[in-house]
Amino acid sequence: MDIIKTFGGMIENMVPKNPMGARRLLLMGYRAQRLALSALAGKKLPPSKRYVARAVMDVIIRALAHPENAAMVSMFTPCEPLSVAGITPYSIETLSGYLSGTECEKVFLDHTAGEGIPETMCSFHRIFIGAADTGLMPKPKFMVYTNVACDGNMITFPYLSHKYGIPSYFIDVPYEKSEDAVQNVAKQLKEMSAFVGDMTGRPVTEDALREAVGRSARTVSNYINYLGYQKERRLPGDLTSEMYAVFMNHILLGTKESEKYSRMLLDDIKKAPINSGLRLLWLHLVPYMQPSVKKLLNFNGKAFITTCDLAYESMIPMDESRPYEAMARRMVYSCYNGNPKGRILQAINMAKRTGADGAVIFAHWGCKATIGAAQIIKKALENEGLPTLILDGDGCDPSNSSDGQIATRLGAFLEMLGGKSK
Amino acid sequence: MMHYVCKYTPVELFAGFGEKYTVLDDMPDNFDLSDRIAHPNLCGFGKSVIQSALSKGIDKLVLVNCCDTMRRVYDIIKDSGTCSFLYMIDLPHKCGYCQKEAFTESLLHLKSAYEKYTGKQFDRNAFKSAFPPLQRVSGPYVGILGARVGREIEAMIKKSIPFPVRNLTCIGNRSLSMDINALENVPDEKQLFMIYADALLSQLPCRRMNDSTARRCLYADPNLRGVIYHTIKFCDYYGFEYSEIKDKLTVPILKLETDYTRQSEGQLQTRIEAFSETLSGLENKKAKKRSSIKEHFVAGIDSGSASTDIVIMDQNKNIVASVITPTGGSAQSSAGKSLDEALHKAGIDRSSISRIVTTGYGRSYISGSDESITEITCHAKGAHYLNPAVRTVIDIGGQDSKVIRIDETGAVRNFVMNDKCAAGTGRFLEMMARALGLSLEEMSTLGLNWKEDIIITSMCTVFAESEVVSLVAQNKAVPDIIHGLNNSVAAKVSTLVNRLGLKEDFMMTGGVAKNTGVVHAIEDKLGIKLYICKEAQLCGALGAALFALE
Repeated sequence: MDIIKTFGGMIENMVPKNPMGARRLLLMGYRAQRLALSALAGKKLPPSKRYVARAVMDVIIRALAHPENAAMVSMFTPCEPLSVAGITPYSIETLSGYLSGTECEKVFLDHTAGEGIPETMCSFHRIFIGAADTGLMPKPKFMVYTNVACDGNMITFPYLSHKYGIPSYFIDVPYEKSEDAVQNVAKQLKEMSAFVGDMTGRPVTEDALREAVGRSARTVSNYINYLGYQKERRLPGDLTSEMYAVFMNHILLGTKESEKYSRMLLDDIKKAPINSGLRLLWLHLVPYMQPSVKKLLNFNGKAFITTCDLAYESMIPMDESRPYEAMARRMVYSCYNGNPKGRILQAINMAKRTGADGAVIFAHWGCKATIGAAQIIKKALENEGLPTLILDGDGCDPSNSSDGQIATRLGAFLEMLGGKSK
Repeated sequence: MMHYVCKYTPVELFAGFGEKYTVLDDMPDNFDLSDRIAHPNLCGFGKSVIQSALSKGIDKLVLVNCCDTMRRVYDIIKDSGTCSFLYMIDLPHKCGYCQKEAFTESLLHLKSAYEKYTGKQFDRNAFKSAFPPLQRVSGPYVGILGARVGREIEAMIKKSIPFPVRNLTCIGNRSLSMDINALENVPDEKQLFMIYADALLSQLPCRRMNDSTARRCLYADPNLRGVIYHTIKFCDYYGFEYSEIKDKLTVPILKLETDYTRQSEGQLQTRIEAFSETLSGLENKKAKKRSSIKEHFVAGIDSGSASTDIVIMDQNKNIVASVITPTGGSAQSSAGKSLDEALHKAGIDRSSISRIVTTGYGRSYISGSDESITEITCHAKGAHYLNPAVRTVIDIGGQDSKVIRIDETGAVRNFVMNDKCAAGTGRFLEMMARALGLSLEEMSTLGLNWKEDIIITSMCTVFAESEVVSLVAQNKAVPDIIHGLNNSVAAKVSTLVNRLGLKEDFMMTGGVAKNTGVVHAIEDKLGIKLYICKEAQLCGALGAALFALE
């Protein structure tokens, strides 16, 4: 019997009639899974990747169990002010990812379709909206979001802020990268920190922020060093671990957990064996649920993902003495902000750093920012000698993907790279 | 000629350089040029801009950083190198002081860029005289709301609707509140542009802005008589507004979704005409007008994509004869042959028929009819005749599925239809039957004996077909696969039903009503009982005959 499928089916059946009961059941399941992660500890994974699985699961459990002390955020929101105020930040993409991993996403997707919410919208957002609308997701204390990287935020957050009746803060990041833009965003981040202080009754002091941004700077530095080792060595891993890295480098950036994770990663890779397998640079979401991609890239020494641009998108040096500007610079100069040139340059740098043999752009259903830029990025990377594949699919809704087609495309790409470079 | 696409574009600035400007909103026939260089899942409007830029040799184009699609449209056109002046304005999402300052800088940058491009000087007087006077419109009207519509759809709506129509989408509601005379006393150029930026940003917000609550005034206008709400495939902003207002509006609303091409004009025409019939209370008027006419026989012809159905009725509303034949060749010849067959069955000749009403996709192509009425209105009429307790009609035909809400008189109160995609239609089942090597009759009952609950995840017909083929390869039992397919159709149809809300009694019509497996799946999914009768497939023709009689 497939335990996850059965459990997901139970949740789906309960949601329409008893969403609170479904939430309790889900929480029970996640707590059991948390215990399993500690006990079994995923033996194939190195310590850093086992640690990150537990750390992210802890956040999800806290968000569901203690919503009164949690805030909903978009993936590119700087969360240092929230962690300083003792709030649990969680991103809607992560929550939806967990629901999809629990195989109960269909009830939420069906609900949003019934409400007339466009089926062409990003599935992560639709799953979350469905979970909120049906009452499975509890009301958080407040929300903070930004326009960087994703138009979906500009729809989902105002919609849910109104629906839940909770306050929100929106950080409007200019499209053009400039020092004026950094100052503009820094002002907003100062206001956002005051908003967080007001919401929680726990003022966000500049000293505490400096400490948090200092941790962020060290984390980023550790992660970049870790990527350098990827050129020769390989840490065994699965697709999900890549998405956990995205969570750690965004939502938990500035926390002790994030810094510890980056240190552990660095320690692990220093001890990892030399490997000559194919190295892939991944752009955009990693479809960690897609059977064909899992089969080709999970725990496979012959071909593996070195990193994903969502994990390194804002890896720029940070001056902790000016925390608001440091966070603002991260947003303005994120390679996901502005035109695709930023993503191209960052990808070329990271491909060199990690010794990538090829790049895969995952054209996630509904993400116009990435699918619209895909051809331009592919052309530019190939001009630099990096073979690039555009892979259409959906990170969390299987109905928008053809697994057979994905298997053929990715398989052929790996064969092509293997013949070419190894 | 400068082309632009967004109401936040500072077109008056171009007038200041003596430049003419026009909106780029053509609906192309297809996206062949766009699809060569851009991903097909961009929104239709974005693709139409790329298509126009590549096919019409547009030389000067100014875009606005409206959404992810428009940002990428800019990148793609820039990469193609077809425009000599291509510019994207950075538009903030908020209207605070910080944002107004930033937008002022954006406008000044554009001005410098255009000065550099043309070598011309900016003329303040030409700029000031370009501001159009504010227009006040009064009287009842039907509003086009939601995502922008192309001029072709706007024309189609204006032609079909019995009220003045106001296009309130995007550029249609561009309106700057500026005191032009006050600009005389502003010597500083930055200050002048700050006032201009303020006026542009203070317009009625589009859904892309962070706070769009001011849009509520669009729905609260007492002169509003009906709403045609347009959405574009892969543009997500307006689906949310539709979801918010659909149950709150007190006037009729029709949702139209397009991909911003002219490919589905026939289907759009059906919906717009049906909506127009709802607005004008056509059913009641016709009943009044014709109640005094005494005639013996009438005919209703439903010219569908899969079958042509005929009902001949006498003056006492008795069905004298009916025929269902596959539509082959043209709508006209199929209708002619079927009518001859029905007349033969009824034992009467053509001259005994005093009135013919046609419905269905081919309704406008059949000559010799007295009137054509959309199948939505006819299905409602027919369903009411067959069972007056019915309030929700689920009609699944060959190429579309629709759900119609009717009142106690059989008049249409609301309806929804599937989009262009074939998921959840008879065509979907037909293709799956072919993939399984079965007839439709076999498909309709084989799935009832299922054992394993297989989920067909793909809604897309093409993906679903390959999923079915791979399930067969895995030796999955055919009844289990069919059960999965039935559930897939039920899920799609349930989505439409839920959009209107559940209201008893339910009736299912159309060819798929004969498929027992699908009927059971819909009943299970919605937890309802469907009324099905042997005349289910004739419902449209029956309604047409009733209109002919009235």
